[in-house]
Amino acid sequence: MPQLNPEFFVSQLFWLAVFFTFLFVFLWRVSLPRITTVLEKRQNKIDENLSSAKELQERAMEIEKKINDQINKAKLETDEKIKETINALQEDVSLQLSSLDKDLEKKVSDAEKEILKSKDDQIKNINNEIVNITKLTVGKITDIELSDNELNKVIETHKGNFN
Amino acid sequence: MAAKDSPLKQFEIDPISNIELGGYNISFTNSSFAMLITVLVITLFLTLTVNTRSIIPSRMQLISELIYNFIAQLLSDTVGDNGKRYFPFVFSLFMFVLIGNMVGMIPYQFTFTSHIIVTFALAAVVFIGVTILGFINHGIKFFTFFYIPGVPFYMHPLLIPIEVISYLSRPISLSVRLFANMLAGHTLLKVFAGFVVSMPFFTGVFPLAFIVALTGLEILIAFLQAYVFAILTCLYINDAYHLH
Repeated sequence: MPQLNPEFFVSQLFWLAVFFTFLFVFLWRVSLPRITTVLEKRQNKIDENLSSAKELQERAMEIEKKINDQINKAKLETDEKIKETINALQEDVSLQLSSLDKDLEKKVSDAEKEILKSKDDQIKNINNEIVNITKLTVGKITDIELSDNELNKVIETHKGNFN
Repeated sequence: MAAKDSPLKQFEIDPISNIELGGYNISFTNSSFAMLITVLVITLFLTLTVNTRSIIPSRMQLISELIYNFIAQLLSDTVGDNGKRYFPFVFSLFMFVLIGNMVGMIPYQFTFTSHIIVTFALAAVVFIGVTILGFINHGIKFFTFFYIPGVPFYMHPLLIPIEVISYLSRPISLSVRLFANMLAGHTLLKVFAGFVVSMPFFTGVFPLAFIVALTGLEILIAFLQAYVFAILTCLYINDAYHLH
């Protein structure tokens, strides 16, 4: 078995020491620091991006809050305005209603007065007619001429019985 | 079977250029060449793919980063925060064994991890390093590592020697595991390759198909053994910090 032949043991150990030492030193000093730098650079970049993303998110949230605040404010203002308008309208309506009521009342009272007046007139007319009819009737039946005053007195006394 | 057809012939070391230093033969051999290729592949790949240092990685850069994160994760899972200092070493060890195994999968390439002397040297570095680390961290208390708490006192004369032996056999188990896996896999491939040639007519396609499947398995083992080597190193480092 060639592995157990000590002829080249020293040679193999020597070159192993040379090459492995070279490899170790080269990787330690040159290759690995390069990869470490790249990985660190990448990690830093990722961290940086993450933090800026976080910052942006915070800013977005702030803006959203501001927008919400403004929306709420606008809502409150609108509600206030609507309330004010409703109140003003209600006042206006009640004013107009009351003036209408007054008008109506006046008209009603005027109408009542007129009705009363016309009723009185009618009653007077009726009285006059009754007096005339009674005068005529009594004159035709009895040839007695009654004065208007006498007739009026009689009618006044029996007035309540006509109804 | 003639020596030139032996399935073990692939493990023979051929000097490319003979060098001698202080009376020792340190010839540059096919094994050294495979190590050179391995080191070149690792250093060039890890350097060139990360050359642009771009935040959004190219596919090749992503591979480098994945290997980096794989070992970093392995180390932080097993050792924790203390492990960061040993990252370059564990990473080098993993890459060296992994690419060494992979280079060995190329036909006609030499597999230096199939030589016990190489794997043992790597395991010994880990073992000695971890032992020194244990003494630095705990001083003389490091010996309590062999004392298992919560065991009846009369068991200790039995358990302490077992613990010591198991500790001392760590470099052997670590090195033999890698060496034996590589040796067995490559030998098996070579044996079946011999069948392809020696079987009559077209029946040679069967061992050939087996070789194809076995090559896939060997690539898996190449990765697995590198992973095992790295994770055991991590566990040993962890032991040096947390005795029990």
